[in-house]
Amino acid sequence: MSQRTRILIAVLILVVLVGAILGIDALRRRSSPTPADAPVVLEAGSIPIYVNGTLAAGFTPDDLAELEQVSFVDAEEGKTQEGWLLRDVLLLHLAQRDLDPDTLVTVISTSRDKSAQLTWAEVDDPANSVMFDLSGRGTLKLVSLLERLDVRDEWIQDVDKIEVVNQ
Amino acid sequence: MKQRYFSTFQLILLALFSALVVVAKIALRLPLQLSGHSGVFWMALVIIAAGVVPKRGAASLVGLTSGVIASFLGMGDFGALNTFLSYTAVGVGTDLMLLLLGSPENLLIATLAATVGHFCKFVVKWSLGAITGAPVGFVALGLTKAIVGYIVFGALGGLLGGLTLAALRKAGFFTYIAEKR
Repeated sequence: MSQRTRILIAVLILVVLVGAILGIDALRRRSSPTPADAPVVLEAGSIPIYVNGTLAAGFTPDDLAELEQVSFVDAEEGKTQEGWLLRDVLLLHLAQRDLDPDTLVTVISTSRDKSAQLTWAEVDDPANSVMFDLSGRGTLKLVSLLERLDVRDEWIQDVDKIEVVNQ
Repeated sequence: MKQRYFSTFQLILLALFSALVVVAKIALRLPLQLSGHSGVFWMALVIIAAGVVPKRGAASLVGLTSGVIASFLGMGDFGALNTFLSYTAVGVGTDLMLLLLGSPENLLIATLAATVGHFCKFVVKWSLGAITGAPVGFVALGLTKAIVGYIVFGALGGLLGGLTLAALRKAGFFTYIAEKR
């Protein structure tokens, strides 16, 4: 086999890998997770927001374009975490009057069996930088400057559900 | 006595490169908010390792060892298994490409092998996310950006590694090593 053929095979392998990932990803995003009896229709690939146990809205990737990006440098590895405030994401779909300072906001990753519970007061304070950073594989991870959410072990990677419960 | 595949000297060299991969990941930072940008440093190191120890499995051993070190240091955002498998995939992917293409001293081969090797890291991260049911690719643009980042920085790392190997040959490093044997 000539060197030219070998190089072409290597390029082909790379193209196939990229194509497979993009293809599978497109298929996955097309399959809608909306329950049949849900009052709100979830767009494929969106993250559901439940208010007091009822599906209230779906947070879609398109929503991110409307939000301002913020950033901070994490103390653990000194990396810049850049993304969108959870506060802004929630206010895009919920009215501020429905969110009291003691309202509980739970950000969940079903696949990693992890969650973080915060009060609206904590989420609403820009100094806490409670925000979603985009991970390398295109999922959202909840990061913050809050002491109980400021290292990787405490972050919520692969977020797929947000619950809001009024006390 | 049966001849060992890697000599002790070669194993020490590979262990050093493995440690350097982890150190590079921790200490060298580029102010780029792009996925996979650290590939510039560590793909260069993997390619140099594969050139300095020209045996099949050298890159895999560097990937495996650096994966063990990085996992124990708690590196990576997605846990120890993810870190270990993704680092190992870099080495195995690079080795498989070098098996197909030949010596990494050729700049084109080094670049291509490093590109595929580095992309294997992304494939592992993405696959583990997909298997565990994570909403991978929630932001499609983010996924595309990450793919491009891994390919570009992997290629740059490979090119840097290839150039370093050429510089080492020019400086007489390989002659020195051959004499030491």
